[in-house]
This record gives sequence, C-alpha cells and structure tokens, in this order.
Amino acid sequence: MGTDNVRIDDLSNLSAGVAPALAEGLWTSFWAGDRRACARLISKVENEPNAIPAIREHLAGKLGHAIRIGVTGPPGVGTSTLCSAIALGLADRQHRVGVIAVDPSSPFTGGAFMGDRVRMDKFVGDDRIFMRSLASREGRGGLSPSTPSVADVIEAFGMDRILIETVGVGQAELDVMNTADLVVLVLQPITGDAIQSMKAGIIEAADLIVVNKSDLPGADTVLQSLRFVYSLGSAKSGKAPPLLAVSAQQTEGIEELVDTIEQLSTSIVQSGRHQELRQMRLVEEIKSGIVDELWQRYLRQSDAERVIEEAAKQLVASGGSAYKFVREMCSKIQLTVDPKANA
Amino acid sequence: MSGSPIKVVVGKPGLDGHDRGAKVVARTLVEAGMEVVYLGLRQTPESIVAAALEEDADVIGLSVLSGAHMTHFKRVRALMEEKGLGDRLLTGGGIIPTKDQETLAALGVGRLFGPGDDPDAIVDYIRDWVREHPREDAV
Ligand SMILES: Nc1nc2c(ncn2[C@@H]2O[C@H](COP(=O)(O)OP(=O)(O)OP(=O)(O)O)[C@@H](O)[C@H]2O)c(=O)[nH]1
Repeated sequence: MGTDNVRIDDLSNLSAGVAPALAEGLWTSFWAGDRRACARLISKVENEPNAIPAIREHLAGKLGHAIRIGVTGPPGVGTSTLCSAIALGLADRQHRVGVIAVDPSSPFTGGAFMGDRVRMDKFVGDDRIFMRSLASREGRGGLSPSTPSVADVIEAFGMDRILIETVGVGQAELDVMNTADLVVLVLQPITGDAIQSMKAGIIEAADLIVVNKSDLPGADTVLQSLRFVYSLGSAKSGKAPPLLAVSAQQTEGIEELVDTIEQLSTSIVQSGRHQELRQMRLVEEIKSGIVDELWQRYLRQSDAERVIEEAAKQLVASGGSAYKFVREMCSKIQLTVDPKANA
Repeated sequence: MSGSPIKVVVGKPGLDGHDRGAKVVARTLVEAGMEVVYLGLRQTPESIVAAALEEDADVIGLSVLSGAHMTHFKRVRALMEEKGLGDRLLTGGGIIPTKDQETLAALGVGRLFGPGDDPDAIVDYIRDWVREHPREDAV
C-alpha cells in the first residue's frame, strides 16, 4: 500500500474558487429584498454544498444579530401551530421573522412530506415573515446539514428572529441545540409520562418549556412533573427554565409566551451569551472547515480513497487495527505550519 | 435519478371540502423521491403562489374537484407569470373536460390528470418536464 509522501501545505490548488460562481443578478435582487432571490439562494445552499463557502463570504458582515430560536417537541404536540402563533407575535413586536420548518426525508426514497404550512397559513403574503420548509435530506431524521447556512441566508435577507421548527424526539432535538441560540421545548398534556423517556439532554438544554393544548385536561399534571424533574436539579444553569401552559389553537397564553421569548432574547444578548454561542459555533465551523480543506487537498494529491478502500478490505480479513493503519497513512503526510502563522 | 429532489407545492384552491385526492397524489410524489410541500384545503391562488415562491418550488400541483377549475388554473397561472414563476410547471388534477384542458394548455398550464389516470403517470410527467426545463440561476 504505497502512497508516496504528499505535502498538504501545497498552496497551489486551494479549494477556494472551485465553487461555482453565482449569477451577479441573483445577488442584486437578493440585496434589493426580492423574496424570490432569497428563495433561490436557499435552494443553492440546500442543493450545492460546494457553493456554500462562496455564498457565506457574500453574507459575511450581515450576520450576527438575529436570534435563532429552536422550537422542538414530540410529534403531534402542535409545534407548527405554535410556531405560526409565535411568528405572528414576534412580527407584531416589530421583528422580521424567518421560519424554517424541518421535516424528515425518507431514507428509502429521499422524498419528504412537508405539511407545516397547513398550520402556518395565517402569514402567507405577509412581508414581515419569510417561511421555508426544509427536508432533512442526509441529516437522517435530524436537521438538514444545510440548516445553519439557510438561517444565515434568511438573516442576511433582513430577518432578526429565526424560528427553527423540528418535530420528533431524537436527533433533531439534539441537532437544534447546536444550531439555535434559544431552545423552546414543546410538550402536551397527554405526553405526561413521556418526560421520563425524553432524550437526555433536551430537558437540560431547554431555555423555555411550553405545555401546549392546555385547553385539554392534564396540563397541570405535566407542569407538576416538570417542576419535580427540575427540582432534582436537571437544568443547564441549575435554574429551572420558565414553564408556560398555552393553547396555540385558542391563542391562549401566546402573548405571555412571546413576551418570555423576547425577555430571554434580550437577556442572552445582554449577558454576552449570544456572542459566546456564536463564537462556539464559529470555532466548530472553522475546525471542520480546516478538516474538509485538508482532506480535499490530500485527495487531490494522492489516491487515498483507493488505498483506504483496499486497507479496509484487508483489515476485515485480518482483524487488524484501523488505528495502526491511520498512523501509517499520517506518517506519510508532511504537514508543516508556518511558525509566524501561530504568533 | 440524479441531482437534487424535485420540489412540488400541492394545494387545493377553493372552498370544497375534502383533500383525499390531493393527499394521495402528494404521497405518490413523496414515494417517488420528491419533496412535497403540502398546503391543505381552502387555499387561494394568491396563497398558493406565495408559498411556491418562498419554497422555490419547481412545480405547483392543484387539486380541483369543484368544477371551478377554469377560474383557479387561469388565476394561478396568471399569478405565476406576475410573480416571476413563469418558468415553473403548473399541473394538477380534477374532472376536467378535454376542451377545457386545451384552453388551459394554451395559457401555459401543463398536463392535467383525471381520477382514472395512473398516479405514476403524474410522476413520470413531472420528472420529464423538470428534466426538459432546467432552471436558470439568474432571477
Ligand atoms: N386541543 C388543541 N389542539 C391543538 C393545539 N395546538 C395544536 N393542536 C392540534 O394538534 C394537532 C397537531 O398540530 P400541529 O401543529 O400540526 O403539530 P405538530 O407537532 O407540528 O405535528 P406534526 O408535524 O403533525 O407532528 C393538530 O390537529 C392541531 O389542530 C391546542 O392548543 N389545543
């Protein structure tokens, strides 16, 4: 298995510039506030991952102020109905609101049924709100990998509050915690005992818990069990998040809910938490960007793909360790860092 | 199939009451690998076109059983032109006489399907149409 030594510090073929150029007209329309251009740009981000770096370069400078609010909960609790009400409430408080509703793609066909607009038809044609449905695609039941970039596009378009709605207890909830500045967990009366079985992490990560459908009996029981769970000390900050009972359908408690979201938004900005979260996400983005870039350069200078394939085949047969092979491969790569770059 | 999934907005304009047909079609398209934004009942031509615009849909599919197909298809098609979505496909289903279909086709409406048609025929039609009408980058 001989790959010749490769140097990935070779700057002769950086990936930048490989990305397909976007029509200038698209940007002109986008900055002029053309919703069609915004929609088109989101599709670019969804469909052409290698166009994302160039697109984000264009957006830089316009980002950093919007609050991204993840709204998540088990299926059927009414997240769509609730997001619709929250979006309108925020718009009435002079915000421009983006709504991203993520639905699972079928792992078998790649298709997706996205029904969120059925409950979000109160603001079609409302200029204060931009709504987009996203299929989770290779995000396999979690968020679509393009979700953060889609949120960037919507923010740069001028939206300062962005709701990211996901349904399902599981990966989507965990993904949303890494994408959103605030996490709103939605529950309903009859999922009372579901609290025990919820993915570890989400209860702790929620900044706000909403018990929807409080017009149905049982909301109090859910509130009580939540208070009990938090009294055991399972909150992120050690402090229980606000718990609110609402009815999205009868628009009860919605004003208070939107006010609470506003207060939380203000407080994460004032405390510096918002910047901190942004910074944490940027660190991750930069790290994975470097990994991607180096990997691409490596591939361009070696037939690593084939060598790895070959090695895996042998490892299966021999029962050998993958890590030994990794060390061997890496020992053939010369990675030099300009000492001045670390100053 | 190569490339990104085809995106279809499916809606039911008008006030008539059930959406079984539209849902069946939506499911068929999903099973064929398409991403379907389902709008549900009682849509207006305006709300359907506004949704298609934000979703950047390749295709709008209408289900019209009320007999008001001429009005709805004409209006949606006109709005599509007005909002800059003239390069997208408008198709759909209902009980639509051949002569009406011809009139609508002359206005830029695509093929329309009836209750007797094989749902897979819709899938094939949409796939072929999208393949033959690649979208431009420029808005
Ligand atoms: N009684 C009652 N029903 C509600 C309320 N909010 C939503 N619903 C109903 O709950 C059902 C689910 O609502 P959606 O908003 O579609 O919920 P979702 O969680 O997005 O659901 P899926 O996307 O279908 O998993 C619908 O039938 C709603 O009408 C509420 O406050 N009270």
